[in-house]
Amino acid sequence: MSKVVEISPTTRHEGHSKLVLKVNDEGIVERGDWLSITPVRGVEKLAIGKTMEQVPKIASRVCGICPIAHTLAGIEAMEASIGCEIPEDAKLLRYILQCANRMHSHAIHNILSLPDMYIPGTDVKINPFTKEEPVRSVALRIQRLREIGQTIGEIVGGEAIHPSNPRVGGMYKNITPRAKAKLYDLAKESRVLAQEQMEFMIAVFRNYQNRDWSEVGGVEVPITKDLGYHNQGYMATAPVYGSSSLDETPMWFPDRFTEVRPWDWYMGEVEIDEADPNYPIGGTTPVGNKAWPQMEACTGVPLYDGQPVEVGPRARLVQFKNYDEKGAMGLQIARQMEFPETAYGIIDALDALDTSGSVLADEIPQGDGSFGWAANEAPRGTDVHMAKVKDGRVEYFGMLVPTTWNFPTCSRALTGAPWRLAEVIMRAYDPCVSCATHMLVIDEDKRLVAQKLIQ
Amino acid sequence: MLFREIVIAGCGNPLFADDGFGPAVVEELQKLQLPDNVKVIDAGLGAPHFLFTLMEDAEVPVKKLIIIDTADFGANPGDVTKLRPEDLPPGTYRDAHSWDLSEPLQRLKDVIDITIIGCQPKRVASHEFELGLTEEVEGAIPKTVRIVLEEIGVEYGATINHQGTHLWASPGETTGDAGENPGEKV
Repeated sequence: MSKVVEISPTTRHEGHSKLVLKVNDEGIVERGDWLSITPVRGVEKLAIGKTMEQVPKIASRVCGICPIAHTLAGIEAMEASIGCEIPEDAKLLRYILQCANRMHSHAIHNILSLPDMYIPGTDVKINPFTKEEPVRSVALRIQRLREIGQTIGEIVGGEAIHPSNPRVGGMYKNITPRAKAKLYDLAKESRVLAQEQMEFMIAVFRNYQNRDWSEVGGVEVPITKDLGYHNQGYMATAPVYGSSSLDETPMWFPDRFTEVRPWDWYMGEVEIDEADPNYPIGGTTPVGNKAWPQMEACTGVPLYDGQPVEVGPRARLVQFKNYDEKGAMGLQIARQMEFPETAYGIIDALDALDTSGSVLADEIPQGDGSFGWAANEAPRGTDVHMAKVKDGRVEYFGMLVPTTWNFPTCSRALTGAPWRLAEVIMRAYDPCVSCATHMLVIDEDKRLVAQKLIQ
Repeated sequence: MLFREIVIAGCGNPLFADDGFGPAVVEELQKLQLPDNVKVIDAGLGAPHFLFTLMEDAEVPVKKLIIIDTADFGANPGDVTKLRPEDLPPGTYRDAHSWDLSEPLQRLKDVIDITIIGCQPKRVASHEFELGLTEEVEGAIPKTVRIVLEEIGVEYGATINHQGTHLWASPGETTGDAGENPGEKV
């Protein structure tokens, strides 16, 4: 007789999502549904009628975590639609941006997933904010990698968070020779740090794999050897950057993509009949509440060749480097393996970059309404933007973001795992649930806390 | 450098009507010539994630952080208030991305002087995107710029003259250069 547990909201990732889990008497997940509960915002509609310059800027604001990926995918979708080839030096600058973004994203994900892990050889969980060694120096290394990634992103992209330098047709400005020298220094420093960080993190994940149990909310939970396994496919368009419909050999095919409604995918209405008030951060949903995933899920379910697929670091390594390790830890380790590559990628691109080269196309066509797409290999996976531009205005715009691809795949990967480890599996995917609302609220009753009202 | 001694971060999302207040103020500040130890950042949606968790161990130590954001404090739209991190009970800075990760402001406030300048929004579109600030909140931009300049000890009269604009004579009268500043020279 299966019971239903709900973890809502899920934590230590980006955005709002929840897990609805049907579990057996041993607490093993028989069916798991992982779904976004962030409302659909309708950016695709907002884009219609705007200029092709505006829309990528708008797209970069739909998410505070992947603004670089969204900016680049949005711009390149416009370029694909209008048939605009950009100069080589502009491509190199974008490549550097991509690597810097990935370096930062992977580093911060380490902070998100480390609290599930143990200091190797001990039963001590890692608190990345502790001031005590040996964790303190690891935390400092993570912070330095993040700082380097962001600084490089700022120098090349113009701004650290929402990059202003990339534009339809290339980049607004090339970098100066002094900036290039600075970037070399930063990349070389990060190369060493990234290698050390990769080795440390892989040791931590291997240690978790070899453990028999993990403590969650005061309960010792056995770690299954096939934690987070699934039999779905993988999708990636490039080891580092991405692909667009302008490529001679495009790596993504719109015809292979279909989408079904949440109604056709997620489970129907269920009643919560198991709960654990001691589960971290507020306990699971109390018994007696209802959940209705097929009504509550706020994203469609994208399929590739009729199946959900995994995107992200492992997908890239499977497609391009013969990587074959499955499971949640296999995915985590794949992410770490991408670390050094980000620094080497920046150095290689700098070697090739001519700082006096033009970074803007000689001619920027205004578009005839042709369909174009660009798939950017964002840190969390393939971020596909699609566009039709006519006379400089956007007639159609669509976004297929990484976590949308990963929702149904990860849901499958939950089967067979102890339900208390479902979040460990989910976090391995580094979810970036599209989210946007951002506001200060003083307290629930709108009580005025600050008396220093000005004017 | 990612940070300087004084960091001014405009937070919020221009896709949600008045929630774009922070980035709009930053756009104005970027038109001004500010001292070298000041850095103005359009933090958009990523401030806690990209900035606040980094400041504690930054290469250049941050001494003062000014956050500009919308704040629902029950006043009239466009009213502006100054807050200290202590005014915010833990967890009420509702940033869906990473606030629950570490509550970075609560940790930072012991090592960095933090001021939050909050503007009461009139309308924050919560379900659908809506571009553009309301008139009331647009009108709060000049006085917020003034408050920021006071906070960092800049004689704004001189700054205005230097730029030759009438930035805060009335809303919408700005004539400074656009804030595009890509390819930072280092």
